[in-house]
Amino acid sequence: MNDIASIIKKIDILKPVPQMVHKVMAIAENPESSMSELSKIIVYDAAVTSNLLKAANSAYFGLPDQVNSVHQAIVYMGMEQVADLVLMSAGSENLKEAQEGYDLDTGDLWKYSVSSALIARELAEKIGAKDIHLIFTAALLKDIGKVILSQYVKDSFEKIDTLVTDKGFTFREAEKEVIGIDHAELGGLMAQKWNFSNKMVEIIKNHHLPQKSSMSEIETSIVYMADMICMMMGIGVGSDGLAYRFHQEVVKRLGLTERDFQEVIAQFAEKIEQVESMVRIQGPGS
Amino acid sequence: MKVSDDMEALLVTYSLGSCIGVAIYDAVARVGGLLHYMLPESSLDPEKAKKKPYMFADTGIPALFKAAYKLGAKKQRLKVIVVGGSQILDQKGFFNIGKRNETAVRKMFHRNNVIVDYADVGGVVNRTIKLAVDNGDIWLKVSGKGEKKL
Repeated sequence: MNDIASIIKKIDILKPVPQMVHKVMAIAENPESSMSELSKIIVYDAAVTSNLLKAANSAYFGLPDQVNSVHQAIVYMGMEQVADLVLMSAGSENLKEAQEGYDLDTGDLWKYSVSSALIARELAEKIGAKDIHLIFTAALLKDIGKVILSQYVKDSFEKIDTLVTDKGFTFREAEKEVIGIDHAELGGLMAQKWNFSNKMVEIIKNHHLPQKSSMSEIETSIVYMADMICMMMGIGVGSDGLAYRFHQEVVKRLGLTERDFQEVIAQFAEKIEQVESMVRIQGPGS
Repeated sequence: MKVSDDMEALLVTYSLGSCIGVAIYDAVARVGGLLHYMLPESSLDPEKAKKKPYMFADTGIPALFKAAYKLGAKKQRLKVIVVGGSQILDQKGFFNIGKRNETAVRKMFHRNNVIVDYADVGGVVNRTIKLAVDNGDIWLKVSGKGEKKL
């Protein structure tokens, strides 16, 4: 068992998610917001603006004309999509590095995060959920805890793996048992420290649905489902494999059928190359 | 899906999850092929299957073999390897895409008398497979547990 306090202290070493993420989320969720309000926040940050324009011009969106300004991006793509791209760019600073403990190479965790967020958005729209930006951002940041826990997983991998392989533990349960804290719980603490809403903290903390009570939370369930779909597609799966629990009742509660499930996979698979190119454009070293 | 007779080529399919990787190799023609499919049946979306046949088992597997035959491979000489199809814990029935992906390839090979030389399918682990076209060497990587030559 490790000294949990010393693990939690590591949060301070990371660069926190910038304040603009909160502002962009607030604007995106408010139907009264104007284009210029969103634009004003974005243009203030040169790196985010440049990433936004690169992504907007990537094959993923296939826009007919070159987009050269934030204003133009909003006109072409709408506030919703621009907000997503800004959240992606600003929120993912810490997710780009390789995570050795999880056997994820440089860029893997980020591709996973972006894919989870895009799939979560698709599910949220399908189901008619509110607070789509909350769901999108939570799915994007849900595995932020892995960035800190990776080192500890690496040091204790054999013990964790034994619990998973021989004792039927999920990888998250084994992390908690061996290290004393799991990546979801740690991610929740990080979100709290970075001043995210209680709702966001709860979704990140419960994204593997550790208790029955979290299954009734629709936003958490959507993020959970997006994660399950990524795992099946092999996106962002590392040394933890698919050793998490599938709760069929959650699928039913969300009103999704097995066919919906496969359709989401097929739709996303069709776009995966474009997603990869967008992720690369915004990716490590950019 | 990639099929090649280029002696320099190393065919790779990363991180399969519940998807299945099928590798085939003809040591005489020195032709190799690698397919990574995600779902069992193209009836889900025939339009999509036309555009992306490699996404589904029932359209992807025949396409893989046909492409290898075109480069001179012969069915009776093919070495066949099947990996992937992992499952999330407690994933059952129709929702168990990994299991259904595995069943799809087994049925198809049974019907067409294709013998599998090596299979590593199911469980919760994540797999990556590589095939060197010049000599048919195949490497299987299991995330967190390293890579081995088959």
